[in-house]
Amino acid sequence: MKTVGSEFLTRSKPYVRKLIDLLSADYKYVSVLGTDTRGKVYRISKTGTEVYDAMLAERGFVVRLHNGVNYSEYSFNEIDEDKISDIVSDIKANIHKVAKDINTNEYVILEEEELTKQFFSESEVDPVSMSPEEIIRALTEIKELGCSLSELVVNFRAALSFTRVSKIFLSAKKDLEQSYTYSEASMFCVARRDERTKYYFDGFSGMKGYEVIKEMKEHCPRIVDQCITGLIAHEAFGHGVEMDMFVKGRAKGAEYMGKQVSSSITTMHDGAKAANHVSSYLFDDEGTLGSDTTIIQDGILKNGISDLLSALKLGTAPTGNGKRQSFERKAYARMTNTFFAPGTDSYEDMLASIRYGYQIEGLYSGMEDPKNWGIQCIALLGREIVDGKLTGNLISPVVMTGFVPELLQSISMVSEKVELSGGGFCGKGYKEFVKTANGGPYIKAKVRLG
Amino acid sequence: MIEKIKEILANHKDISGYKIKETTIHSNELFFVKKNVDMDRAKRVHHYNLTVYVDFTEDGMNYKGSSNTDIHPTMNDTEIESAIRETAFAAKFVKNPYYPLVQPAESQQASALSAFAKESFPYWMNEITKAIYKNDIYEKGGINSCEIFLDKIETRIVNSEGVDVTDTGYRCMIEFITTWKEEGEEIELYRRIDCSDFDEELFAEEVKNMITICRERAIATSTPALKTASVILTREAVKDFFSYYYSKSNAASVYNQSSTWKVGDQLQGKEVKGDRITMTLDPFMKNSTDSESFDSEGFPLKPVKLIEDGELKRYAADTRYAYYLGVVPTGNIGNIIIESGSKTIEELKKEPYLMTTAFSDFTVDTMTGDFCGEIRLATYFDGRTTTPVTGGSVTGNINELHHELYLSRERSKDNNFEGPAMIMLKNVTVAGIAKD
Repeated sequence: MKTVGSEFLTRSKPYVRKLIDLLSADYKYVSVLGTDTRGKVYRISKTGTEVYDAMLAERGFVVRLHNGVNYSEYSFNEIDEDKISDIVSDIKANIHKVAKDINTNEYVILEEEELTKQFFSESEVDPVSMSPEEIIRALTEIKELGCSLSELVVNFRAALSFTRVSKIFLSAKKDLEQSYTYSEASMFCVARRDERTKYYFDGFSGMKGYEVIKEMKEHCPRIVDQCITGLIAHEAFGHGVEMDMFVKGRAKGAEYMGKQVSSSITTMHDGAKAANHVSSYLFDDEGTLGSDTTIIQDGILKNGISDLLSALKLGTAPTGNGKRQSFERKAYARMTNTFFAPGTDSYEDMLASIRYGYQIEGLYSGMEDPKNWGIQCIALLGREIVDGKLTGNLISPVVMTGFVPELLQSISMVSEKVELSGGGFCGKGYKEFVKTANGGPYIKAKVRLG
Repeated sequence: MIEKIKEILANHKDISGYKIKETTIHSNELFFVKKNVDMDRAKRVHHYNLTVYVDFTEDGMNYKGSSNTDIHPTMNDTEIESAIRETAFAAKFVKNPYYPLVQPAESQQASALSAFAKESFPYWMNEITKAIYKNDIYEKGGINSCEIFLDKIETRIVNSEGVDVTDTGYRCMIEFITTWKEEGEEIELYRRIDCSDFDEELFAEEVKNMITICRERAIATSTPALKTASVILTREAVKDFFSYYYSKSNAASVYNQSSTWKVGDQLQGKEVKGDRITMTLDPFMKNSTDSESFDSEGFPLKPVKLIEDGELKRYAADTRYAYYLGVVPTGNIGNIIIESGSKTIEELKKEPYLMTTAFSDFTVDTMTGDFCGEIRLATYFDGRTTTPVTGGSVTGNINELHHELYLSRERSKDNNFEGPAMIMLKNVTVAGIAKD
């Protein structure tokens, strides 16, 4: 089923065009991104039920314009025929008011080519068409199943969220429109023995509709996943090649372009077109078409990912990675679908090759360090491996720290099948949360565990 | 818009109650690369968030269903009607035990007036910039990049019981990266300041502190393989550490089985060797972005002591979870005050220790008590000499360690937290990286 576009954005287009025309009299570049993102979250646990709007639900606009020196932006969420002149006045009164004794960086005026395109994603079952009663019933069944797994389970939560993203991007030469739906289903289990509490969670996600619930039902519970490979890809080199960091001189990766940074059996991609997952789109939040960027090819660092203004500053081609948390926030160079490419080893051979080690699973958190290439990843669980077999002994949580090149160069085996997971959000530092998918095959690597 | 929403709600006889939260945000933002403005932004947005409640009885049990949605100011009447109808329909299937909505209060204490209210935003953006860059005066290091956000937030909460409260607050957020280069690699560190009032000294001093910490990290050696050590937490990690006590003493955590804490529990165990924790929540803390007269339900707030000398005295509880647990509601308060301990910092530093200054990300799991962080900078004292060290990690579990913790007598403040400047924990696992 094709995702339906936003009626609101369609009816707002004439007002946005008029706004662009009025502003163009004073500013040489003007563009407007309009968003109308809808979505719901359903969470059913042993102790309660919640239904609320999805985290990224929003409706509004952001104007970008060249102020004669560099770029300014103005976010707003009220527009109609009568308000357009007020918006223009407010923009002129509020942007580019930097004191004269503060220096500014200069940017050239963006030159665009004529481009009109549309994209509407497909899903099996449109979640908007599902009754809340039906969704709550399905999640309640999964919750009941989870609660029945063990007497140690003190709470179990099943959740579904779906988000329908609709955006338009208009400028003098561009007229872009897209609508796509992604969905996430997740389970969260809390278990307690005496006073010791532990939890585990798992998720299913994609550029999909209500069918993610079916996937979760079929896989409840599953025992292994490849999200840690994705976390390493994301934290190790994803953030490190965000090219706004190159502009600031904050990325060590800039010095390593064309050099060996990883074992020769590793290849890594990022891009809205690199996979069909939660961060797949036609155009980014600056009106640049999405692409498939090969970041690492056979261990050699090849390319970074960039937003439009960083590319303008660096003289490189933008890769369609300019993303905003919402229309209210600035666009930065951000990851989309980031993953290691498949290898040739089987999971069974990888397991058998380990004399002593751990199979790490369950993504908890990670933190980037693009300047100094440190890495911190926290996983929920480590399964002990002795003489090529899982012993059944577990450690939790698992803290992995180290130096990125050492970790990546230690990769000695890579499995054949790639899986992506898009259940979480990615921040830039501690803010600017956007949707990304991460993944890859199983990798065998040496890492310091805390 | 609120009147329009109320009119439409009045036509839905199946709705038992509602809450509308209106927020208006006016914002200015500056983005710096080195000392130059790279981009400026402004924002003027208006948000309405509606929660509808549906009361029903099933098998003799009373339930309150609820569902929540945004009502955008650009929605036409048909869209608003449709959003309310869909939200009310979903609420019918939300089977939560009954709880009452917040009732109107006779009075509410007003929030403190911020200096940001006294001048224009362009004026304050300039003043903040000057303060931030005041100490960026070194050859080998300084501010790599900086982002400044200043928001004026006007909030109104209206509910079907007659609550109608308003407040105006300011939120200033400054994020900056400092760097330092000695002989080897250039070192960088991240810092974020949140506040609700202008404090030139705070901004300038914090930049100076971070540049100093960067310089120390640039000359640091590898963290030794200590296995376990007495670890002194400082700066943001102290605030993060107490987030565990904040979360565990919340009625929602108790009801949802995330916390087993009971009123009267000796939280640090029966035999406490070090300091006992005393924690108060204060909704009127000065210069905090979490200070407010009422919570998100419209409940009027006042200070409340939750933990005294290590004993849980009461839960922090909003109206719903207070009703579920049969306790008096406190409302949701975001500001934490922890009382000082018995030792000065000088006394804490008499024995060998590892004192952490900066982590990659100090993480505290507020459900399990597990904490960990990759060390970006720490000071190691082996009993004779002190050395700046970097790399490796600190891990532990608060439940297993808080029977012997020491809080400094000296205090510090960081936005919504005020408490001891340092915490010493014994026998913390330290994974060092030094070869020998």
